[in-house]
Amino acid sequence: MSTFNVKTFQGLILQLQDYWSRQGCAIVQPLDLEVGAGTFHPMTFLRSIGPEPMSSAYVQPCRRPTDGRYGENPNRLQHYYQFQVMLKPSPKNIQELYLTSLKELGIDPLVHDIRFVEDNWESPTLGAWGLGWEIWLNGMEITQFTYFQQVGGLECAPVTGEITYGLERLAMYIQNVDSIYDLVWTDGPMGKVLYGDVFHQNEVEQSTYNFEYADVDALFGTFDQCEKESEKLIEAGLALPAYEQVMKASHAFNLLDARHAISVTERQRYILRVRTLSKACAQAYYDKREQLGFPLCQAETVREK
Amino acid sequence: MLTNTLLIELGTEELPPKLLKTLATTFYKQIKSQIDDCGLVYDDIKWYATPRRLAIKINALVEKQEDKEVEKRGPAINVAFDSHGNASKAALGWAKSNGITIEQADRLITDKGEWLLHKAIQPGQTVHELIPQIVSSAIAKLPIPKPMRWGSERTQFIRPVHTLTMLYGDQIIKGEILGVSSSNLTQGHRFHHEGAIVLTNANTYEQELKDAYVQVDYQLRQSLIVSEIEKAAEKINGVALIDDDLLEEVTSLVEWPVVLIGSFDKNFLQVPAEPLIYSMKDHQKYFPVNDKQGNLLNQFIFVTNIESKDPQQVISGNEKVIRPRLADAEFFYKTDKKQTLESRLSSLESVLFQKELGTLKAKSERIALMSEYVAEKLNENKKQAYRAGLLSKTDLMSEMVLEFPQVQGTMGKYYAENDNEDIEVAQALEDQYRPRFAGDALPKANIGCAVAIADKVDTLVGIFGINQPPKGDKDPFALRRAAIGIIRIIIEKQLDLDIADLVSKSIESYGNKISNKETKQQVLDFVLARYKAHYQEQDIAIDVIQAVLENAPSAPLDFEKRIKAVSHFKTLAAAEALAAANKRVGNILAKFNGELYLAFDRNLIEDVAEIELADVFDSLNEKVTPLMGVKDYQAALTTLADIKQPIDKFFDNVMVMADDEKIKINRLTLLNQIRNSFLAIADISVLQN
Repeated sequence: MSTFNVKTFQGLILQLQDYWSRQGCAIVQPLDLEVGAGTFHPMTFLRSIGPEPMSSAYVQPCRRPTDGRYGENPNRLQHYYQFQVMLKPSPKNIQELYLTSLKELGIDPLVHDIRFVEDNWESPTLGAWGLGWEIWLNGMEITQFTYFQQVGGLECAPVTGEITYGLERLAMYIQNVDSIYDLVWTDGPMGKVLYGDVFHQNEVEQSTYNFEYADVDALFGTFDQCEKESEKLIEAGLALPAYEQVMKASHAFNLLDARHAISVTERQRYILRVRTLSKACAQAYYDKREQLGFPLCQAETVREK
Repeated sequence: MLTNTLLIELGTEELPPKLLKTLATTFYKQIKSQIDDCGLVYDDIKWYATPRRLAIKINALVEKQEDKEVEKRGPAINVAFDSHGNASKAALGWAKSNGITIEQADRLITDKGEWLLHKAIQPGQTVHELIPQIVSSAIAKLPIPKPMRWGSERTQFIRPVHTLTMLYGDQIIKGEILGVSSSNLTQGHRFHHEGAIVLTNANTYEQELKDAYVQVDYQLRQSLIVSEIEKAAEKINGVALIDDDLLEEVTSLVEWPVVLIGSFDKNFLQVPAEPLIYSMKDHQKYFPVNDKQGNLLNQFIFVTNIESKDPQQVISGNEKVIRPRLADAEFFYKTDKKQTLESRLSSLESVLFQKELGTLKAKSERIALMSEYVAEKLNENKKQAYRAGLLSKTDLMSEMVLEFPQVQGTMGKYYAENDNEDIEVAQALEDQYRPRFAGDALPKANIGCAVAIADKVDTLVGIFGINQPPKGDKDPFALRRAAIGIIRIIIEKQLDLDIADLVSKSIESYGNKISNKETKQQVLDFVLARYKAHYQEQDIAIDVIQAVLENAPSAPLDFEKRIKAVSHFKTLAAAEALAAANKRVGNILAKFNGELYLAFDRNLIEDVAEIELADVFDSLNEKVTPLMGVKDYQAALTTLADIKQPIDKFFDNVMVMADDEKIKINRLTLLNQIRNSFLAIADISVLQN
């Protein structure tokens, strides 16, 4: 059923892009900033706000500094990939759409035990929560499935359905390997390239940076600066650049966390500061779209003709 | 009357497994009570639940309600007709609204007057008319902690709804609920059955779903799972550890259970069983298996939702998931053992117990001193108690406990053994958190009791000391559980400890950290308030508990003795009269504002009944005093019960509120002394018959 060689990491991505493209999603490219999850991408975070419809899919590199293991743990990375799908409004057959994508990856649901296991999602920094499941494939979590209820403190209407595939996990399963670094990235006329060839050194060096070299004082400074900048931009009604500053602040916070520079009680305060900014961005974005007359709502009716 | 089977099914996306049974049984109760209320008769009613549906089936349900005769009263005759006998506008209007003519109206004649009357037959409504409303209001009453929306819908439910099946026999009951129109369609197994099922008849619901690979009967599915797990365990010569909560969760996660066996590397069994069991149960919802001697096997049983074309792939997939988790546990265990618990003490310096109350290190030191104090009272080894108290929190700093918080204490025991601590000390580390929940085991040995009590008292005093008592359902430090734990340990282990004394000692140990001046009283009141739950669980009547609570004894064993005494007292023939007499005396005394005499004055006695009461009381008192000395409350109360006859006689014959002030005060003094004798044990005036 697969058009691409899903036994390679890139084939897996191409297959998912192809599938969701056929379902009508705009395939956009990764965000060029450090983020902890695909949800941060404006195509998900901002677009799930307000009444305008949108469906898109994209790969998002994610950075979670505290998860770094210097390339020594076969299952943990500080930099990895998610494949993110957001469908707004969430279609009635969204579960079936997802399951069909698995079939296209060569996963036969009559062989494997596929389950929707309750898992509710909450992002304190984004002021967002939703209800849904993690998808189990023979007991392994391969996807996070969420119906957004609130984003940036605003109620979601209509509701966005978010599907987040953990690409490395899924690939390890399909390729039947026990270490991320043994994943085949591609196997073509130029020979075989492994995940480790591409990223192992990066994991070692970035872990070292995250845990040992990241300049704590400078990061605290960055956090404060981004916060100030974001507040200023919100004043100016520039929701998108203001939101970029939030993501930068959030990444600075994650690095500080990896450096154990933030105490337990302080931690809560920093999360609250990021959330306050996220909420302000969400509101600014909504106001701007409203001012513009929610153009995608109108475009939809026009284009249907 | 015609009867048929009614089926109601709500088809959804996967429902939260821990809530499924509650949802289904609430749905059932709601539907049943409404069906009963509207007088629809049936043979039996049953609930069904799977991850993707909630359903109710009612057998032999009548098609409609019985017709009812209703009487509708019209205008009074003098209003209905003028003096010529012509019907008034009001009368004509009333008749018209009832669809009759004035001539057809009956008369209602009472001693208050005469009215027009219409005896109407209200036809019973059919199931088609009644059921949609019943279902809709039953759904609205389901307990949903976080309702959600989906798509562009404004309706809310616990998960998106796809089908509403309402069948009476083979007829569809038309209706719309949560934005879905009813039909005879439902969904089968997600993978084993393509497309919708067209149900032919409500009667054959279970079978038609079974044909579509859905075992819809929850209880049947659960017993199937249990028997399959037991069979699987037998196959590998083991005994499966079937925890009720896990079983319920797993039953709620599958429509078509298929039980499989997986295994892991035997080497992992060198790690203590508890963290391995937690990884299997909590993370993966597997059932661990012991051998017949009770040692953990390197195999596990799990429940899938598919009759796989290749079960081996499902098994190896699951084995692949559990392996890194067990490897983590093994790694943590090996790393942790390299460091002694004692050497971790200093690292507790950097962990806060609570911001205002200081670090876990300081808490450990307080627990150590308090454990030592308690051990001394119990004639146990003080040194061991101190040591166990001091090390009690060190395992929190181990990698294993950071990853698996549920094994706190247990890992402390293993690591203490590894460090060659005394075996009593090691056991106490595991015991300190007991009892962790209602019905949990108590500490095995008394050193463990000492540390468990010390830790709990320390937390109670500290949190009350900074004015953060539990509010409503907010009890972040689990103080209620701590208080009940203290009560249970002291009573069930028969420990001679007084909570007031422990609390004072604990307050002292906090030094100037305690800002709340009322700490002692508040903690004691809080503990007292827990007795109700504790004794109600043992079916002790609430009035008995209340009677003892009036006295507020702070030593739990003392409390227990009084409970037994009052329970026994309540069985005596004299109990009811004495409760009433005590109440009466209490009321009289409450109204009296003056001062009583220090002692009853025999020179002021006037009446025979008064002398008799005083004599009997004196002689009873002589017997009671030594009984009170040894806290034999039961014998004391039983003895005091003999006061019944003289006190009844006294009230029958003597005017307490005599005109002579001195005599009055003297009588009140006597009654007060009697009442105090009872009150020294319990306030029996609150007993109900």
